Amino acid sequence: MTEPQPAASQNGKPLVRCIGITKYFGGVLALNTVSLDLYPGHIVALVGDNGAGKSTLVKILSGIHQPDEGQIWVGDTEVQHMTPHYARQLGIETVYQHLSLCDNLGAAANVMLGQEPVRFKLGPIRLLDQKRAITEAKRRVNEVGVNLDDFQTPVRRLSGGQRQAIAIARATVKAHRLIMFDEPTAALGVRQTRATLDLIRRVANQNVAVIMISHNLDDVFAVADRAVALRLGRITLDKSLADTSREEVVACMTGMLFQKAN
Amino acid sequence: MHDRDALSESQLTGQPQAIPAPRDNPLRGLLRGNVRNLGLLTALALVLLILAIFSPTYMNIDNFIVVGLQVSYIGIAALGTAFLIISGNVDLSLGSIFGLCAAVAAYLSLSINPQLALLVGILLGGLLGLINGSMVWRVKISPIIITLGSLTIIYGLVLLLTGGYTIRGVPKDFGLIGQFRLFTVPTPVWVFLIFAVIAHFFLQTTTIGRHIFAIGGNREASEASGLRVRRLVLGVFMANGLIVGLAGVLAASRFGTASPTFGVGYELDVITAVILGGVAFTGGEGNIIGVVLAVILLGVLDSGLVALGVDPHYTYVVKGSALIIAVTLDQLAHERQEHFRTLLAMRERDRT
Repeated sequence: MTEPQPAASQNGKPLVRCIGITKYFGGVLALNTVSLDLYPGHIVALVGDNGAGKSTLVKILSGIHQPDEGQIWVGDTEVQHMTPHYARQLGIETVYQHLSLCDNLGAAANVMLGQEPVRFKLGPIRLLDQKRAITEAKRRVNEVGVNLDDFQTPVRRLSGGQRQAIAIARATVKAHRLIMFDEPTAALGVRQTRATLDLIRRVANQNVAVIMISHNLDDVFAVADRAVALRLGRITLDKSLADTSREEVVACMTGMLFQKAN
Repeated sequence: MHDRDALSESQLTGQPQAIPAPRDNPLRGLLRGNVRNLGLLTALALVLLILAIFSPTYMNIDNFIVVGLQVSYIGIAALGTAFLIISGNVDLSLGSIFGLCAAVAAYLSLSINPQLALLVGILLGGLLGLINGSMVWRVKISPIIITLGSLTIIYGLVLLLTGGYTIRGVPKDFGLIGQFRLFTVPTPVWVFLIFAVIAHFFLQTTTIGRHIFAIGGNREASEASGLRVRRLVLGVFMANGLIVGLAGVLAASRFGTASPTFGVGYELDVITAVILGGVAFTGGEGNIIGVVLAVILLGVLDSGLVALGVDPHYTYVVKGSALIIAVTLDQLAHERQEHFRTLLAMRERDRT
């Protein structure tokens, strides 16, 4: 697995922009005027302590929560009211920490869920084209660089890494703008972590913007292009990884040396 | 196994395998999917064999038609419940819906066209199913509890409508459909068989069928994949109501009237059949063939014990035992499989 240089870098136009996002949960300030630009082919590592607002930001971008203030721009248009359905239409996908797979279905059914190939259509009745579903799913799983030979056994019988690949393959199918990974390596061993990080890089190389939430600085420095640290709902660091250090990232996450880091 | 799977640990290899890996070859998958069906078929064959030996009069077409008629109402309702349980839901009020649709159809036939009254009865079932589904969706607590409430409410409506008595003065035409026979087989049996075939193919080959499995397997994942979960769940509740309503009006038409005892306790028989048929109560697993086999097996047990001269009260003991034995065997097989997978995982761990 070669690790090509991050494509486009900051030069291209941002695919997705957050401007001044603020979110309250009741009286609690979860995000405080957060602004973030996301570029194609660029992996942003979102780091921060528990409760820093990482997941809230991801959920706002995927349409699950609505911001109280601020704007989301996708391409050249401002999105007024993001919903999960609309986010998906815009090509924004999320791979959650607890892989959202249907354990009772096979890999093909999971990858193609909601967009099954149809061989006959009569009103709401659509007959599944099982063969095409399998070839298509195979192609998509191969695209994320994983070979899988059984697409029909329930995925609960597959290994953690294979399941991860299926979840990512499904998300990448539609994510032509932004894909967000919530703790993608949390449940994985060393080798599988390595493979998953390679996979995330490959996804980014298809000119998609990537956000990766991680607690693990090794992962961040292994794969990301840019580190964004959140602390108590504010962005305390937003730097290219080349320009920062572990110490600075940790400091910005914990707030210990925040002054100095500036 | 070369670089087959970048994420699995199998490339390390070179070492002998202590435990043979469970190859998922197609034959194995086929057997695994249909173990319950084979079991049901074997049990059915066994029971019929015993009946053939000890009660020769049982084995004749006329008797089978009677048995078919006895199981058809439960069978029709079981199709809807199979869909619901696979989608991770259940509607306990089906017995009351059955009764109310029968009673309303019979009652309306006093004043309007009897066939139209039957149609209204069926549509009423759909409406009740939709109301149940909406409540289950809105209140977000177990469908068992919500529909337990509607079971009681709707039964109350049955009693209010009938005053606790069989409806009198129903016109003769009301029985046209239910008492009709095609090739000596009465309508309810045909309806059961035809709907079973439709339900089977619908569940196995359509996108909606696939999505019902997906929702039962993981509702959040289904939502995240853009499935219209709310619409699908409400649709399944409504379809279940319609088919239970159909069973109810067929019974009313067959008997030429309706009584407040119609459908009482059916929910237990139906759920027993569906679970015995291999549908997982937790959702996401099951097939219609198993459900149909279970319905037939329960019906044969019911009538067969009587034919053998056994005290009919034993049928409850036998049917309940069949259910417990079936799910216990399933669970044991599952645990064995888990144990096997644990050994396998340990082997993989030791290799790395």
